[in-house]
Amino acid sequence: MSAQQAVLELRSSASSASAATLLTTSAAAPVLAQKPRTRFYSSWSPRWLALPFPLFLLLLWYAAAQFEWVAPQVLPSPQSVLLTFVDLVASGEMFDNLKISLLRVLLGFGVGLAGGLLLGVAMGLSPVFKDYVYPLFKAFSQVPVLGWLPLLMLLVGIDEALKIILISKAALVPIALNTYKGIENVPARYVEVARVLKFSRWQLLTRVIFPAALPPIWNGVRYGFTHAWLALVVVELLASSEGLGYMIVFGRQLFQLDVVMAAVVVVGAVGYVLDRGLARVEIVLLGWRRSGF
Amino acid sequence: MTPDRRTVLKQLAAGGAGIGAAMLGLQARAAGKPAIIRIGVAQPGIGNPPQFSGSSAAVANAKGWVEEEFKADGIKVEWFFFKGAGPAVNEALSNKQLDFAFQGDLPSIVAKSAGLKTRLVLATGVRSNIYLAVPPDSPIQSVKDLRGKRVAIFKGTNAQLPINRVLEANGLQERDLRAINLDQATTLAALSTKDIDAAFGNINLLRLRDKNAARIVYSSKGGSPIFTTQSHVLVTEEFAQQYPEITARVVKTFVKTSKWASDEVNREEVLHLWAKAGTPYEHWREDYDGQPLRVRINPNFDPFLVARYKDSVEQAYRLKLSRSKFDVDQWIDQRYLNAALKELKLETYWPIFQVNGKILGT
Amino acid sequence: MARSSSGNSHDKHPVPKFLRGWILPALLLLLWWLAVKFNWSTSPLLVPVDKVWDTAVAQFRSGELGIALEASLRRDLIGFAIGVGAGLAFGIALGLSRLFERLIGPTFHTLKQISLFAWIPLLSVWFGLGDPAKVAFLSLAAFFPVVLNTFEGIRSVPAELVEAARVLKFNRRQWLFKLILPAASPSIFSGIHLALIYAWLATLGAEYLLVSGKGIGNTMIDGRELFLMDLVIFGVIVVGFVGFALNWLAARLERRLLAWRGRSVAQF
Repeated sequence: MSAQQAVLELRSSASSASAATLLTTSAAAPVLAQKPRTRFYSSWSPRWLALPFPLFLLLLWYAAAQFEWVAPQVLPSPQSVLLTFVDLVASGEMFDNLKISLLRVLLGFGVGLAGGLLLGVAMGLSPVFKDYVYPLFKAFSQVPVLGWLPLLMLLVGIDEALKIILISKAALVPIALNTYKGIENVPARYVEVARVLKFSRWQLLTRVIFPAALPPIWNGVRYGFTHAWLALVVVELLASSEGLGYMIVFGRQLFQLDVVMAAVVVVGAVGYVLDRGLARVEIVLLGWRRSGF
Repeated sequence: MTPDRRTVLKQLAAGGAGIGAAMLGLQARAAGKPAIIRIGVAQPGIGNPPQFSGSSAAVANAKGWVEEEFKADGIKVEWFFFKGAGPAVNEALSNKQLDFAFQGDLPSIVAKSAGLKTRLVLATGVRSNIYLAVPPDSPIQSVKDLRGKRVAIFKGTNAQLPINRVLEANGLQERDLRAINLDQATTLAALSTKDIDAAFGNINLLRLRDKNAARIVYSSKGGSPIFTTQSHVLVTEEFAQQYPEITARVVKTFVKTSKWASDEVNREEVLHLWAKAGTPYEHWREDYDGQPLRVRINPNFDPFLVARYKDSVEQAYRLKLSRSKFDVDQWIDQRYLNAALKELKLETYWPIFQVNGKILGT
Repeated sequence: MARSSSGNSHDKHPVPKFLRGWILPALLLLLWWLAVKFNWSTSPLLVPVDKVWDTAVAQFRSGELGIALEASLRRDLIGFAIGVGAGLAFGIALGLSRLFERLIGPTFHTLKQISLFAWIPLLSVWFGLGDPAKVAFLSLAAFFPVVLNTFEGIRSVPAELVEAARVLKFNRRQWLFKLILPAASPSIFSGIHLALIYAWLATLGAEYLLVSGKGIGNTMIDGRELFLMDLVIFGVIVVGFVGFALNWLAARLERRLLAWRGRSVAQF
């Protein structure tokens, strides 16, 4: 019988369980690529609503600088940051640093993505592997960059390799974790349905498990990217002479907080753009999911 | 109300007013004193509780003399240590979270030129040595050989300007090297793994030499004091204006500490005290060998020191580390120091260094 | 993968379950010992195992370890609780209200990309220099993952369930507790798990970035400053171990709370 029919059968045979535990198995048939339904609440949410809050923050910033609620050395005024930003762009410094940082993050993220997915899938699918590896993984992920630095420096020196490895570690942890958890949390019922339908292992994997685990996995990927980006500052703090993180650190060291803010703005903006890109990809990948809200 | 009750109430009211007045009186007296004196130190501070070293301020901290001085007045003294060194102290000063600070010349200059209102009141940790270390098998023999090499420099700290002076004296500029900005801990590690060709630093580089992980090829010891680093204690203008006597007493305590620490009789104890913050006693002994304590534990803003600071202001501006220049003579507030010296009759106790680095009278 | 403690009928592996987690660390320890014995590296960064052990014993005996751990853990737990609480509230608001998401969402997604390091000057302004600033830093670190995962979890509640709830005419309370939270709970717990990890990392980060004080991070940092690699490695091991212990506790809790879901993936 077709998957759909099995689904309907299962649904109807679900007995006393309350509605909340009635897990739909429609997700077991990801081939149905339907558009996400419109949201539950009414759609009064035009695009421009994104603007008021940031504008409010900007106003707050301007007022804080104007009335010196915070010392100007710690919070430079928006105007001075803008001027400094223009200076930096004009001198080409901003773009150079951006290029270097971007390259580092992309490479590091790539490595972390591959590693994280592999590790997460292995741990998710094989409980034996997980028993061996997970405890050590947990311990490792809890040691900060500062702790790894001496050992890593011993192994790879202080050049690009060090920075890329540190960034990839930052990306790897959430990706591996979310992938593993995502696979682990695929509800038993889905697998039961697959078994009832006599799915082969391959079909089980590709039609049931990965689609069901994809939302958390993708969440992990987005996290991984965010953390790779965040790690940039820490990594460039420790051993670098260029990059956006370096600008932030060095600006602070020289008490030039307007340079810091300019770099922070760029970091936030670029990070946001890339994150939105990932969000777009998410819509494509998870389009079949029909969310309730 | 019955007369009795009225009387009682009147008495109570009188009593209450009396207490209130007394409290107000207490307040008024206390208005002349802060509840707490906050001192920031531009060093990481090792151990629990943190300690530091290398100056009379460190001795005062270790001995608890500042706390002692103000115990009778019920004023607490709190020391804050910053891993970010000078720059981190600047932030705390901006946020009005510190009253006094022990900092190197460059960070304070940067802050003042950015508009922070401070005054220098005491010299401490002056004429400290910088060292240049290389891996043991390195071909580098002196500063001249540094051209094109990867050199670690902890920028933004008070070593940066002397380092630049040493380079200039050897015909080099920072851009002739591949300078990397590393903090002390990372520098030690990077040198030991030979990831950098050389590192400028302070006495802590000797640690690596002991482990045979590095060789010292240059030290400012024995050379012109122009290549040494300077530090000071400063006070925020706000605190000094509000509590001038407290400021004077703090300075006096430090001067007394400096006198004690300059006494050759106490040399061993001073060095051992500093060793508690982690740098071995032997290194301190080596670093101070051949120099009377008074030369380095010297609270005076003598002509040499003032000239150094003026020079640093120029240099910082030239290297685009600071954004404006200012008058150093205005910045240094000698009043408290002079008053303390007079009171303790120590005006001639310490050698006065002239601008060329030589001691007055030699 | 039935995590049932009983019945290892599918488990034909020679090594018993409770031992497996120890094998890799033991191998690493062996590797380390060999590296020192056969001098694979002459760098002073490679410290003999017994030296680290001696340091560990000394730290333990002098009580320093206890003080440092207590200080760090206290900060960690307080900040974690605050961050998770605020994160849950914020995440639920984002998930349930389209309006809220439109208003605050983009700003939030931008802010989450900015390293916590950049917040430090402002944190110092608002929270002073000592423990409160560190706790605030920590809470921020825990806040973001919880919000994101909660938001994601709520969005993932399948439409069919919402329909079913509507059909059954759930009231508001039932909406939240019988539909939304249970359906989103795996995601929420993942978020809390991540928050636990990042909170611990941030605890140590705060000790590095903010004013020196008591804490296990400071032990590691002192070791680095003084080039005492045995202290650093000791610190690393303790930090990893504590993190592991925290995670293990959290996992146990999670398992208990999510038991009703039933899992069965790799049982094939």
